[in-house]
Amino acid sequence: MKKIPFMVLFLLIMTGCVQEKIIDEIDIETAAAFDQLKKDEFIGTILVQDYLPDKTIINKVFTTEGSLRRDLLLNIQKQTSGDLVTGGLLITIFGDKLADKGIVDFVDTYQRDASIGSRNFLATSHGSALEILKGDYGPQGVSNYLYTLIEHNINQKDVPVTNLHIFLRDFYIKGKDPYLPELRRLNKTQVEISGLSLFRGDREAYVLPKEKMFFFKLLADRHSGEGSFDVNIGKGRKSAVRSIRSKHKYRLSKEDRSQVNIQIKIRGEIREYTGIKLTQAIVDQIAKKLEKEIEVECMKLVKHFQKLDIDPIGFGYLHRKSIRGYDFEKNWKKDYQNLTFKINADVKILETGVIE
Amino acid sequence: MQEQIPEEFKISPSLVFYMVASMQIGIGILGYQRSVTKYAYQDAWISVLLAGALLHIIVWMIYKIAEEVNGDIVTAHEYVVGKLVGKTISSLFIVYFFIYALTVLRSYIEVIQVWMFPEVSTFWFTFAFMVLCIYIIYGGFRVVVGIAFFGLVIPSYLFLTFGYNIKYADFSHLLPIFDTSIKNIILGSYQMSLTFIGFEIILFFYPFIKEPQKSKKWAHFALLTSTLLYTGLMILAIAYFSELKIEKSIWVTLTMWKIVQLPFVERFEYIGIASWNLVILPNVCVSIWVASRLIKRIFHLKHRNGVIIIALFMLIIISFIDTREKINVLNNFTGKMGFGFTFIYIPLLYICIMIAKKVKEK
Repeated sequence: MKKIPFMVLFLLIMTGCVQEKIIDEIDIETAAAFDQLKKDEFIGTILVQDYLPDKTIINKVFTTEGSLRRDLLLNIQKQTSGDLVTGGLLITIFGDKLADKGIVDFVDTYQRDASIGSRNFLATSHGSALEILKGDYGPQGVSNYLYTLIEHNINQKDVPVTNLHIFLRDFYIKGKDPYLPELRRLNKTQVEISGLSLFRGDREAYVLPKEKMFFFKLLADRHSGEGSFDVNIGKGRKSAVRSIRSKHKYRLSKEDRSQVNIQIKIRGEIREYTGIKLTQAIVDQIAKKLEKEIEVECMKLVKHFQKLDIDPIGFGYLHRKSIRGYDFEKNWKKDYQNLTFKINADVKILETGVIE
Repeated sequence: MQEQIPEEFKISPSLVFYMVASMQIGIGILGYQRSVTKYAYQDAWISVLLAGALLHIIVWMIYKIAEEVNGDIVTAHEYVVGKLVGKTISSLFIVYFFIYALTVLRSYIEVIQVWMFPEVSTFWFTFAFMVLCIYIIYGGFRVVVGIAFFGLVIPSYLFLTFGYNIKYADFSHLLPIFDTSIKNIILGSYQMSLTFIGFEIILFFYPFIKEPQKSKKWAHFALLTSTLLYTGLMILAIAYFSELKIEKSIWVTLTMWKIVQLPFVERFEYIGIASWNLVILPNVCVSIWVASRLIKRIFHLKHRNGVIIIALFMLIIISFIDTREKINVLNNFTGKMGFGFTFIYIPLLYICIMIAKKVKEK
């Protein structure tokens, strides 16, 4: 039992072995934005939220210029009063010019840094990324606001699921290109998701307008949540259909390996109807109309991707996993251009609301 | 020839399960996926299963050897090549287990330094860890086994956290199955060496098992458990990441924790890595115990002094291994050494014992 005092002493000594970090004395980076300034020069902004005792939040923005991402961080360290830590990062926004030139160098530091989680969001911006961080979007603070903005649109609306992990997974898979939501600042207090940036490798190649996002989510997202869509069946009768769940299936046609069969299944409900009476016949009509529309719109999308030579859906990867010993490097570029699609949508309307 | 172990120092047969499983599950599991997928791609899980299946044969051989000589490996060596040469060969295994403990401990400290606290001093952490190990080993073999038990049971809750990864997993990444050549699958299995070794300790603590006959099924069961665990994590990693991303990550299993989100903790890795200390503890303790027991058996040095000597050596040598490069070399060496011992030396010893038996019978 002589050992016990020795052990206690030992434990006390051990506590001094690493640098302490007191939560009130560090600055937690919660959002970051990067813009291209000149050739090979970036402007970086980091947002730190200060939580005051009366529960209000102050958004502190630090901006600096540099030619390397490391430079940016080091320069910003010189402006902050506390030690800057990255563990609480929620969102990173890349300016449109930067996204056009490639963002992988920035994302690389994110996967290298052990303290950055996989769940935080990446986004591109329409215009300057910096300006978005400089806004003021209410009492929850800028970074929380932007995070929940994207999060609820993924869970409930038509933004396909995305985060750092999914971006990296898609980026590092042969035969698939990543995508990111695009943010646009409307004015000092408002910001919106204005579309979806589709990448070729790590460079932004095309911005999908937000009207098409519903169809893109049907194609790209495995578990599509609730997206809603307006159906116009003529004679001033309009209805809003909300998809409760949707599923998609991709198959290479057995007879013709250069044809992709896409099966989209939607179970939905009618939220809004402007006609006089909603009969079963009209419900069927709405479903048919929606099916048609999905088939046409999705076909337009995949054809467009093919023309742009981007592959956010992952047709290349589909080839790799469906065809044994497929020589991706050699054949894919040619095969993609010869690919044909067949889309089959199946819409079933389960409920029409609480009134008849 | 074999000293008799008093009944009160022996362990019941079922505890062999915890000894073997906790010794196997250690540092390799944090990042084995990478080296296996390098060869076997999406079929890497087949490599893991194959390696696990082959090990059952080795465990069977280990029991055969131990039963034949009714003792541990030192007795077996003496049985085959006589006292002097036998002891010389046996003393090599002091180094084997020393290096094993060194690899585990240094790799764990590296994880702490990269993932949590870059400032942690290797020397002082090892010092603290060694004091703990000495304390445990002084308690006797049964305490060491107890640590093995807790080192497996307490951290087992960690495996629930991989549920977060299933949500993001796409199991179609496993397709097409059997697209890799047999050669590459076997090469992948070979890469599992470092992760799988540890079960060979049966050959060293065999005399301590009560009714060793009954412990056989537990040893095989432990092997099955770790094989299934490794296969499951392999499948999950392939489904969760894409192949190039696995290739880039050094600690695939740890990177998988980055997606975990709990209301009370922002970065779950901190809890995971801290809990892993408990997984590492039996690895280091048992191997130091084995090494010091070998010292006692071969050089007739007091067990307690042997432990101190090993701890001192550990403290000196661990400070020299300071870069990722050196740690990697050490890991690869230990993997190769483990492969050599389990897959080459044990079958060889088994054959020798069988021959020696035939000769002696005549």
